[in-house]
Amino acid sequence: MKWLVAERRRSLSAALIVVAVVITSLLAPNPRDRVALGVAIVVAIVGVATLTIRGFRETHPVFARATLTVVALDVALFATYFFSSITNFNLAIGAAMSIVLLGLSFLTGASGQISLGNSAFMGVGALAVAIWANHHASTPMVVTLLIAVACGAFVGLLLGLPATRLRGPYLAGMTLAFAVAFTAIVNSFTSWTGGDAGLQLPTAVTPPQWLSSFFNAQTSLLRVNTMWLADITIVVTGVAFFFMANLFASRTGRAMRLVRDNEVAAELVGVSLPRARVIAFMVSSAYAALGGALWTLINNSVSPPTFSLALSITILSLVVIGGIGTISGALIGGVIYAYSTNVISWFTQHTGINSQGNLASQLPGIVFGGLLILTMLFAPMGIAGAVRRVWARRRVRMTP
Amino acid sequence: MIVVEELSVSYGAVQALREVSFRAETGVITAVLGANGAGKTTLLRTISGLKEPAKGTITLDEHSLARQKPENIARLGVGHVPEGRGVISEFTVEENLRLGAMMAKVNLSDGLEEQYQRFPVLGERRKQHAAKLSGGERQMLAMARALIAQPSVLLLDEPSLGLAPQVTAQLMHTIRDLCASKGLTVILVEQNASTALRIADHAVILYLGRVVANDAASIIVADEDLRQHYLGKVE
Repeated sequence: MKWLVAERRRSLSAALIVVAVVITSLLAPNPRDRVALGVAIVVAIVGVATLTIRGFRETHPVFARATLTVVALDVALFATYFFSSITNFNLAIGAAMSIVLLGLSFLTGASGQISLGNSAFMGVGALAVAIWANHHASTPMVVTLLIAVACGAFVGLLLGLPATRLRGPYLAGMTLAFAVAFTAIVNSFTSWTGGDAGLQLPTAVTPPQWLSSFFNAQTSLLRVNTMWLADITIVVTGVAFFFMANLFASRTGRAMRLVRDNEVAAELVGVSLPRARVIAFMVSSAYAALGGALWTLINNSVSPPTFSLALSITILSLVVIGGIGTISGALIGGVIYAYSTNVISWFTQHTGINSQGNLASQLPGIVFGGLLILTMLFAPMGIAGAVRRVWARRRVRMTP
Repeated sequence: MIVVEELSVSYGAVQALREVSFRAETGVITAVLGANGAGKTTLLRTISGLKEPAKGTITLDEHSLARQKPENIARLGVGHVPEGRGVISEFTVEENLRLGAMMAKVNLSDGLEEQYQRFPVLGERRKQHAAKLSGGERQMLAMARALIAQPSVLLLDEPSLGLAPQVTAQLMHTIRDLCASKGLTVILVEQNASTALRIADHAVILYLGRVVANDAASIIVADEDLRQHYLGKVE
């Protein structure tokens, strides 16, 4: 009994694992599913048990972030087996958008710069994937995604160099010009980009054979495809978030925040301001390009007019609503974006608004604008900031 | 040793420094004194590369500092604690100190331990956000952040600004100790002449961007005319 009390964490974890195995054997229809479900539950339990070890996050920060990423991926991937096609599609779109938001959140929150051109950076990644796939269809998907990221980073570098001399509204103006010019640039190279019509991927992203045998996923081809797309997007998002969490906490991340808060102090400790700004721009645009590339894979096509100035403003609004400079804020923004379409269609159905009418087409803008105003009024640090504040108050109250 | 020769600096049409020359010897505290607008802060900013000189030279041992980038000057061993301190409120004490060691090739854990020994209050508050520190503690943090990079020259801009007399005295004592124990070259800019002259070995008085006195601190303290004209009342 003494041992059980002393080793509370281990005994609780062991008990949970036993319960999980019992549930698995009852839920899963065949041995293969039982193993998959069992492994997923054990990973989640061990991960959570590790993360809750006192002082673990302080002493092993990178390992703690890796564990958190694995647990989150484990749960999210597993959930996709049970979600409907529409939910999985929305999940994939939300995950792709959260990568874009994370990049902008880093640029704005960590380095103090602003960009109104993130939709165009997304477009760069989206087009890069489509163009490359149309010319080199056999290239593995990971390589194609990396090419899109490299293209985004390169365009970010080109814009970041003059941006080192610009501040506030002037910088916003320059990135705004890029967002406005993007469609015109794309239309100038129609033989490559397809102009306004865009490009179709030569082959759809198809899941591997083994996937369809899990959890009766084979019930519908659409379901398997959307589940696979959601899985790919979730894994890429997990890796992107893990990398960014480490970047935020790294020497480079701290240097960026120092540049944001006190340029003089940054220079005096040996930080090169132009280099820090250009790196921030490149990281942000690479993330936007990655989000855009995933967007193309999810939709199986790219339509350049999608990456309009309106999308840039939506992206900026979502970063503010979620919480600037926070990892969780980007996730919150992604979820809001993914499910906003469902909420709007529910609203139009229940209010009798003509879904093809002018008002319905303006509803997304009204919703995001309204949410932005409410956030500014009641949670200036975004939803993530508000949650953190409530949590901090609760902890203070609970402290004897 | 830092040697400043014929240094002139302008802000547009306004000339902030006019052919300023002086030497700051190794292991010596050189106080730079003067009224508001005399060019004291501009002098420090020019030495650390934040402001480009119109003409003149600045030499640290055999390295020329004039027209170098601030990050390169910092890497050459010049630590600058600016006016207003420049600590990041949202970072903890330890994170602020890590920033100081960021670009320097020093052992971080040894450096942190050394600073916590020198400023025990920072050690006690290492996990606290800088926003929660008092003015004196913030000044200590700013100094510790500069010192963690193991500089050979320390530029201090108005370290006593806004501090209680007792805290100022403690801080000045620490600066004196630092200079003696580590052989640092210290250039101390102060409006409070009494405080600075109490610990300085050498003093330079600036008036409207020109050097009007450049001598041992004891001689400047003894010169009543100089004190009355340029420093006001010195206790």
